[in-house]
Amino acid sequence: MEAGIINLTIDAAKCTACRACELACSFAKEGVYSPTLSRIHVVQVHSAGVNVPIVCVNCAAAPCIPACPVGAVYRDLRVPVVRIKEDECIGCGACITACPFGAVDRPLGKDVALMCDLCEGEPACAVDCVYGALTFDRAYRAADVKRWAVAKATAARVRES
Amino acid sequence: MSRPISQQRILNVDLTRRKTWVEPVPEAELVKYLGGRGIAAKLLYERTVAGVDPLGPDNVMIFASGTLTGTNAPSSGRSSVTCKSPATGLYLKVSVGGHVGAELRYAGWDYVVLSGAASSPVYLWIDDDHVEIRDARHLWGRGTRETDDLLKTELGDEAIRTAVIGPAGENGVLFSCIMYTRYNSASRGGVGAVMGSKNLKAIAVRGRGGLTCAHGEEFYRLARQMRHSLAADSGSESLYKWGTSGSIPGLDEMGMLASYNFSQVAIGHSERLSGQHLLDRGYLIGRESCFGCSTACHRYVHTLSDEWGHVQDAGPELETVLSLGAECGITDTEALLVANRLCNDLGMDTISAGHVISWAMETYEREFLSRETTDGLDLRFGNVEAQHALLRRIAYREGAFADLLAQGTRHAAEEVGHDSWKWAIQAKGLEQSAVDTRAAKSYALAFAVNPRGPDHLMTETFAEFGFTQESRDVIRQITGDEKYANPTLTEKRAEIVRWHEDVYAATEALGFCVFTSTAAFAVNPHNMAQLFSLGLGVPFDEQQLMLGGRRMVTVERCFNVREGARRRDDVLPPRMMNEKVPTGANAGMITDRAMLDRLLDQYYALHGWDVATAVPLRSTLKLLGLEDVCGDVAHEG
Repeated sequence: MEAGIINLTIDAAKCTACRACELACSFAKEGVYSPTLSRIHVVQVHSAGVNVPIVCVNCAAAPCIPACPVGAVYRDLRVPVVRIKEDECIGCGACITACPFGAVDRPLGKDVALMCDLCEGEPACAVDCVYGALTFDRAYRAADVKRWAVAKATAARVRES
Repeated sequence: MSRPISQQRILNVDLTRRKTWVEPVPEAELVKYLGGRGIAAKLLYERTVAGVDPLGPDNVMIFASGTLTGTNAPSSGRSSVTCKSPATGLYLKVSVGGHVGAELRYAGWDYVVLSGAASSPVYLWIDDDHVEIRDARHLWGRGTRETDDLLKTELGDEAIRTAVIGPAGENGVLFSCIMYTRYNSASRGGVGAVMGSKNLKAIAVRGRGGLTCAHGEEFYRLARQMRHSLAADSGSESLYKWGTSGSIPGLDEMGMLASYNFSQVAIGHSERLSGQHLLDRGYLIGRESCFGCSTACHRYVHTLSDEWGHVQDAGPELETVLSLGAECGITDTEALLVANRLCNDLGMDTISAGHVISWAMETYEREFLSRETTDGLDLRFGNVEAQHALLRRIAYREGAFADLLAQGTRHAAEEVGHDSWKWAIQAKGLEQSAVDTRAAKSYALAFAVNPRGPDHLMTETFAEFGFTQESRDVIRQITGDEKYANPTLTEKRAEIVRWHEDVYAATEALGFCVFTSTAAFAVNPHNMAQLFSLGLGVPFDEQQLMLGGRRMVTVERCFNVREGARRRDDVLPPRMMNEKVPTGANAGMITDRAMLDRLLDQYYALHGWDVATAVPLRSTLKLLGLEDVCGDVAHEG
């Protein structure tokens, strides 16, 4: 992973639930097409017509880190991304309990918890998202981009009035 | 938990004996028939006999996922349902999107073959390898939306995918459909009634396994490249932005906007039917993809006023706004959203529901029906209240008139009599989709020879219009000259139709959406064959792919021959052959009987079918390696 902070930005309003991200992830990580083995999951709320991609967001105060009894969940300070040392994970599920999003999972047939690691800086899910629901950049660039969009819209309104 | 995509498995379910068993598909068969729609065609032919009652226990229903469904091949999440149609008494294949097809494959199944009939309402629960036939008496009579919710609650899993029939399917309405979770519908030919006749309310599925390709990396890279070029296609952009009904302004301009039961080709305020209108006025609240799709043409909409209560639902599609809208003289957007919602929830095909009602409206206006015979309904064109009431009554077969319409336009016209058959927009017993075939000769031919009846969903020859350079290239590839990209010409139409049949069939067998290969062209025979080869790990080329498509078309034809269908059945609705386009850019155009006959002569000859009867020659079946399957109906010429 290149130096600097990598951030995955999710825009649920743009998600159409094609689930290409799930396939990209499971293929990149496991060599298999299997949404169950994906580190990202698109949850379709059918009654509202809304789709919500759920993936590890690398909380600043990540509750999964202190929850792990063997210290397998840690923050990679270079980036800083929350990761799981798969060879130290005992598959107890404490991180799954601690995660407020359901972003960590240990699917049937897996001995370790699965968590997004942002693919060494080029997340496969975002590369394959053609709808702009998943984008990646240096952290805080996301807010930067949003500020510019809002400012430009405001500018247009000011000009018109 | 993962398996190679080349190792296909059939889940057989005998609902009479409540037994299930597993059967592998030999790889050679998979390569020969391309899987999906192809294997389904062969299975239906082999597992039914001539004259089988479509609504009896001996009809067989085959739910088939595409061969690449569940992989990252773009827009390849589609599946199909195949059985004998109760509307036509002929072959029925219905293609459907959504997520059920992929979920089934992850559960370890490529086909679910249903036979028999349960003695009381049941549903099928497929939880990976665990398959269970469960009581559904508490679900019977409920709408598709509520049933989907109840199944999720009952099974304790919000992530299940469902295929559900509504009251219309339970009550044997001949145009009842199967709703796939929320956004998709296996619609045509009364496929819902077949499921209802088996007392099967729903299939619920959850799959946690995975799929692998023989040459994983190469497959992934090619599929990804195709995904991005498909997303960049201009056609995809418009489908994303406005959905299928984004083509309303274009149809209007071309003078092809089927209105008032096909008596007109334009309607005032047609913009209110359009996807542009849904977006601009705030009806649109979300865009939806089928599994793995890079286009997202599906809509999620809601009403803005309180006139009909707050209604939100999936759709409406182009065919829905034409059939329930323009064809019934209706352009009230909100009324249409309500009619669409009614059909989705009651489980009815919007194309046929719209056209059986538009036929009734024309018959009423011509005074062959009256308030006494319509059970009190004032069926003038444009009466939205009457339409909504009739949709409800049809689903429950409430009253003699609704009960009559529930049996389709062909039957209704026979009963009402007079000249009403002349404006019954049906052939083979299926209502034609709202596509005007009079000014487009390949369309006319394709609709006439369609084994399930006249619509654009077994073959579509969009390229003949030559709107884009890509489509003109396709026509040149087929005919040798770009000049044939002209829908009014009669030359080379057989060649154009046959090429599209092959591609369309192969596209569907692999699980791709046909938009990708016959409307946009980023998916084509060449890269489909490449993916097939990389996925299965077998040498495979474009020619083999096209031949696989041809086999499907031929087996489907042979099924109809076995049911007694001949050349005389390959017709268009009477109005399409006898009444010229009244106004607009195509005024005066017609594909009359004599012209259709010339097109049919060319088409049968090109296929190697007997021209007088439309029965495939033995030599043709031999050439395609189909003698062992359907040699029993071969024409000895």
